[in-house]
Amino acid sequence: MAVEALITDIGAQAIGSGLAAVGAGLAVGLAGIGTGVGEQGIGAAAVGATAEDRGMFGLALLFTVLPETVVIFGLVIALLIMFI
Amino acid sequence: MFQPKPMTHLLIAASKEQMASVVTELYRHRVFHITDFVDQGKEGYEGVKLGVPFENAGQLSSDLIKIRSIENVFQTSPGTQFDVPVRPAETIRAAINNELPKIESEVSTLTAKRSNAETKIRECEQRINELKPFALVPVELDLYRGYESLAVYAGYIEKDIDFAFPSEKYFAAGKDGNFLVAFVESANAQEAEKVLSDAGFISVSLPTETGTVQAAIDKYNTELVQAKADLADASAKILEAKAKYADLLAACDEVLSCDVERAEAPLRFATTEEAFVLDGWVPYDDVAKIEAGLIQATGGHVFVTVDEDEINYDEVPVEYNNPAFAKPAEVLMDLYARPKFKELDPTIILSIMFPLLFGVIVGDVGYGLIYLALALVGRKLLMRMGEMGAKAFKIILGCGISTVVFGLLYSEIFGLSLPWHSILFSRHLPIGGDHLPQVMDLLVISVAIGVIYLSVGWIFGMINHARMDHKGAHRTKAILGKFGWFAMFWGMLIILFSLIDIGTFIAGITIPLPNLTVIGLPLTIVGAVLFVLGAVFVARENPLDLMEIPTNLLSHMLSFCRIAAVGLSSVAIAMVVNFLAMEFFISPALADFSVVGVLLIIVGVLVLIIGHALNVVLGVIGGALHPIRLHYVEFFTKFYQGGGVIYKPFGLKRKFSEE
Repeated sequence: MAVEALITDIGAQAIGSGLAAVGAGLAVGLAGIGTGVGEQGIGAAAVGATAEDRGMFGLALLFTVLPETVVIFGLVIALLIMFI
Repeated sequence: MFQPKPMTHLLIAASKEQMASVVTELYRHRVFHITDFVDQGKEGYEGVKLGVPFENAGQLSSDLIKIRSIENVFQTSPGTQFDVPVRPAETIRAAINNELPKIESEVSTLTAKRSNAETKIRECEQRINELKPFALVPVELDLYRGYESLAVYAGYIEKDIDFAFPSEKYFAAGKDGNFLVAFVESANAQEAEKVLSDAGFISVSLPTETGTVQAAIDKYNTELVQAKADLADASAKILEAKAKYADLLAACDEVLSCDVERAEAPLRFATTEEAFVLDGWVPYDDVAKIEAGLIQATGGHVFVTVDEDEINYDEVPVEYNNPAFAKPAEVLMDLYARPKFKELDPTIILSIMFPLLFGVIVGDVGYGLIYLALALVGRKLLMRMGEMGAKAFKIILGCGISTVVFGLLYSEIFGLSLPWHSILFSRHLPIGGDHLPQVMDLLVISVAIGVIYLSVGWIFGMINHARMDHKGAHRTKAILGKFGWFAMFWGMLIILFSLIDIGTFIAGITIPLPNLTVIGLPLTIVGAVLFVLGAVFVARENPLDLMEIPTNLLSHMLSFCRIAAVGLSSVAIAMVVNFLAMEFFISPALADFSVVGVLLIIVGVLVLIIGHALNVVLGVIGGALHPIRLHYVEFFTKFYQGGGVIYKPFGLKRKFSEE
């Protein structure tokens, strides 16, 4: 009985850590999609602006990375899940 | 520091006879920022008109256009000429008068030769292409024309046809389409044309050459070879001329640009029949120098006065006034916006924090050395880009050094450990290694940096409103509004710390954080009072601003997490690359050495090189863009507007000539 309980416990732990890894993956992946959706419009406009005036490049690049915050939050959550 | 250079508003008035000497003198000093005169009937300026350019302006401009057109032929510009000896401007002016016509005629002869050769090549190629289908027809070229009673047709057709009347035709199948030549009596021409057009006939023009087709093609081929030789010759001569004249042209371009700018300067002056007035700004330190210079140049026939009326600070040109080490960061500031005159100039913060944060994020001895090497290799190229390139070089150098230093502290080289344990925080992930990263510590430090940034931002905001706004109730409200955000932010933090012992609440944290729960309720009340007070101040300025509470207080603070997160992802990529290369390719190959093993090792090394190269590039994006963004978005929005007038002193920085 004791051995059986131990095995179930180990199994549950393995499932738990596996699910945690899946969760971390989802956190980064879904946040990445969100960022991508945000960046697509900005990116298109930024390329247009840069084509008009090359001086816009720096600012355009900056605007493009603005939605990156979302995926950073996702990454932070993933780090918390994996290492805490 | 934090302030632009102090500027003095100068008014210069003199009789028109002195205009040339005043312009030359101001141009020489290169410190006077001219405020363009706009003729809009300003009070005190009745009857004053815009000046007219000096007489020689037209001639100078047309000379400059000639120079630029030659430069265009040579595909050079003053920006692409380096290591050119500096010559006196007088010598260059003499060269413009004496040598320019010669160079111009030489270049125009050469370009004419080149374009003739190009035309000839085009013509020959076209004729050869047009004659080619006729080579399939065994008829000499003379026989296609000169008939009175015969009509001749030649062209492409889908398939062979038959005429219902006497005719002589030849059909040739070819890979570019089927070619048909037909001779019919003039009487049947109309009917023949109908049959042909029904069959989808596309006619080509009949040849005008004589003899056999091949002979004609050979003749054109000979001409083509000759024309190509001519073109090569002309191009080589143009290159030769370019090598000979490029530096002289660059110098002429510079001298003429200066002369034209000076000759056209009166267009920016206010003039009357006999006199002119010049309005502009000079750095405070240069006023005495300019005044003395002008008096000397005009023999005292000039009136220079410092305008001490109430200053509209939005019109004052802004020149950075930073210590030498902070100058490179001015590039990053101008990318956003030049500060206004009365605004705090945060360049110095950017100059220290940008390389520092870059190092904190990338923090790897190997990558740092690569950045340093890239900077040193690209140094010459950057220096040629002028002042901006030199500044960029220093920024990259600073980032490289900081990356190496933090790499030593983190004990990281290409994702591997150095012989010692990390001094600062460990970022080593459990990928093929044994110790765990101090993720929580890194995140807490990042957020702490954010807390400092945001607080400083709101304090700067208060200072900016105090300095820039007009005195009155509005200014008080604006200052208190900024204070409101500051109070709400710290109120929130105090409430948090009074309710939760963060140090033990967050698992795995090693930084000692104060346990403020021992004070408990009184502290919570202090925090709550601060928060409510802050909200009231913000609402007094604009109630809608309260909508920004989640972004301003939480998002912006947590956004600083990226310092730790981006850094950890960079380490993760490096470690994954190492793990892949070592565990899958190199280690098995070394354990069991064979021919396949050698191949595996090569693949492993390629994985290492490509992976780390990718990470170096990603490091630039992560290490440079994110800190910049933290400054622009999270920090600057708290206090910085920008949009000041950029200080542009009248005068050109000379590279090739001297007066």
